Amino acid sequence: MANPFSDFKYADGLTVVGISFCTAIVCEAISWILIYRTNSYKNLRSSIDKASKKLETMKTESNKINVKKSKTKKIDRVETSLKESSRDLSLFKFKSGGVVALVLFVVFGLLNSLFEGKVVAKLPFKPFGLVMKMSHRGLQGTDPTDCSMAFLYFLCSISIRTNLQKFLGFAPPRGASGGLFPMPDPKTS
Amino acid sequence: MKEGKSAKLNHQQQHQNGHLSPSKFAKLFDPEASWDKDQLGDVLHWIRQVIGLVCGLIWGAIPLVGGIWFILFLVLSTSFIYGYYAIVLKVDEEEFGGHGALLQEGLFASVTLFLLSWTLVYSLAHF
Repeated sequence: MANPFSDFKYADGLTVVGISFCTAIVCEAISWILIYRTNSYKNLRSSIDKASKKLETMKTESNKINVKKSKTKKIDRVETSLKESSRDLSLFKFKSGGVVALVLFVVFGLLNSLFEGKVVAKLPFKPFGLVMKMSHRGLQGTDPTDCSMAFLYFLCSISIRTNLQKFLGFAPPRGASGGLFPMPDPKTS
Repeated sequence: MKEGKSAKLNHQQQHQNGHLSPSKFAKLFDPEASWDKDQLGDVLHWIRQVIGLVCGLIWGAIPLVGGIWFILFLVLSTSFIYGYYAIVLKVDEEEFGGHGALLQEGLFASVTLFLLSWTLVYSLAHF
């Protein structure tokens, strides 16, 4: 039976996306078994959520009225407790995330061996700097719009895994995460 | 004091019920609805992802080529999100961590999703 995608010049791109998607599901399944279903994780997550909400309420109230020294101390205590819980959560995930890291390493190695030196997609823009280094990794020629497996895999990893974690409810709690570019949970990726 | 509080709670519940107990979908367009930080963050995240995916699919299909269209996507996506929470929902951004916190919800994931869909559709449809 003929491959329905064989007519596409850049069908390899679809293969990369497909493998990334399957890898994301496998990784989340492993993470669920090793991390998310454990009582330690649930308790830590719950304490972070509670501390975050409490901190928000306390900060909102302190903005509205003159703050007593004792209130400020209380806010500091809750903040410290939140940071400690977040740190414990990260450490817990780090210990269990080794298996997932191994899976990702193997998959990337497999993709690399399959698509090294191949142009898997065509970029609709001209990249530059670090993006160019990643998108043109291992490719011959000087066409900046040639896209290597590494860049496509990077895009797949971030977009698919972040949204899958969000959809399944495994995204890190807002109280523990932050920053301009929230990545998919690094301990499980 | 307790009676006063429960009366106030009843009144609020009645007000909500009197506001026709909005379904989850109706809540998305209801400026009277109250939002939890996590709820609003999740909604903004998913809206960003839909915008990223749809823009990527359309711009890859036309195709629209060039870095300027990436900038345009950023402007469009950010404007939409801002318009949604500031004008449609009329939330007080200070209660949710400020404009920065709301505008960055799902931003990076939507950018990568946009680039992925834009690149894939462009590659498959035009070569």
